[in-house]
Amino acid sequence: MSQHIKELTKGIFKENPTFIIMLGMCPTLAVTTQVVNAIGMGGGVLFVLLFSNIFISLLKNVIPNSVRIPCYVVVIASFVTILQMVFHAYIPSLYEALGVYLPLIVVNCIILGRAEAFANKNGVLDSALDAIGMGIGFTLALTLIAAIREAFGAGTITLFRIGGWDGVIKVPFFYNWPIRVMTLAAGALLLMGYLKAFFNWNTSRKARKAAKAEEVKA
Amino acid sequence: MLKYIVKTAVVLAAICAVAAVVLAGLNEVTDPKIQEYEAQKVISALEEVSCGMQIGEKKDVNQSYVAYMYPLSSGGKDQGYILGLTSTGYGGELTLVASYDLNGVVMAAKLVADEETPGVGKKAENEGYMDKFVGTGTSTAPVPTSKSMLSDADSAAVSGASITFTGISKALAYGSDFVKSL
Repeated sequence: MSQHIKELTKGIFKENPTFIIMLGMCPTLAVTTQVVNAIGMGGGVLFVLLFSNIFISLLKNVIPNSVRIPCYVVVIASFVTILQMVFHAYIPSLYEALGVYLPLIVVNCIILGRAEAFANKNGVLDSALDAIGMGIGFTLALTLIAAIREAFGAGTITLFRIGGWDGVIKVPFFYNWPIRVMTLAAGALLLMGYLKAFFNWNTSRKARKAAKAEEVKA
Repeated sequence: MLKYIVKTAVVLAAICAVAAVVLAGLNEVTDPKIQEYEAQKVISALEEVSCGMQIGEKKDVNQSYVAYMYPLSSGGKDQGYILGLTSTGYGGELTLVASYDLNGVVMAAKLVADEETPGVGKKAENEGYMDKFVGTGTSTAPVPTSKSMLSDADSAAVSGASITFTGISKALAYGSDFVKSL
């Protein structure tokens, strides 16, 4: 049981795909101009990652090794197309908001990376838990980056429209005096650098603490 | 060796076939909804740019930039046209509808479909983006096709999305010339 929980939680913090494994950087930098895009993209990746991991784990003994990558791409592209059709037909507002980034999920490194590194070697349950954890970790990372970039760069936090509410929260001070560079590519790279530095510091601090505890024990 | 090649080909073909069948089935279910949504989007865009006038029968044009046109009338008199325009933006094709008076002056415009970058070129969908083009199309106030023809505020607003702006402005300028030539 604890092994299953470990598979589920590792993607959220310890092996976060964005801050630790550094996978899926293109959509991370591109879609994080608004919080709503980050949540939508994260949800889309979670759906595709979950079903592609399940199917690849189920088919791992059937797929010949030499054509495994083309087979993974067919499976992943099929789920992305399913997602696109369903969003276009039933959630058109989200489909419009995600625009070109929705089909780009096909080439998201996290999905192909987890298929090759995990689903290909593990059972269905563990693969599904790994996908859920990685998907949640990716969504949280995207949402954190988008919230900082949008709040500082545009002075707003854009969420989903609900009824008459346009879904936009205005951030005092920054709404009138935004730091525009944060919404541009340079701002994304700058913020990513600072966040990566923070996570590196946090990881090494924990490692030092663990080593110290080990020393005391010995 | 031959057995391995045949097995590999069969597995790959089977996975592709299953994917194709599933997607075809889903397409059958979702396509009517998608067509309905796209048609509704065009209808509401036409109503939005008609400025309260009556929209006549659609005529196909199929020229570069201009795909189709609708005559606009009020009180039984011709007042202008709505043009369906296509152009190219940063992410791909831009589809817009715009209304012109009989002299080719832009009355209203709306972006119907695009594949622009969210948060950058997609801002062209926002309310107020097309305001900078309204009233242009005369000899003294031509449709602005470069940032230098805009006010400082408008120029700053399109900054970072110049390709989207150029795509839209060129289509609107061509539409204005097209109406003048009628």
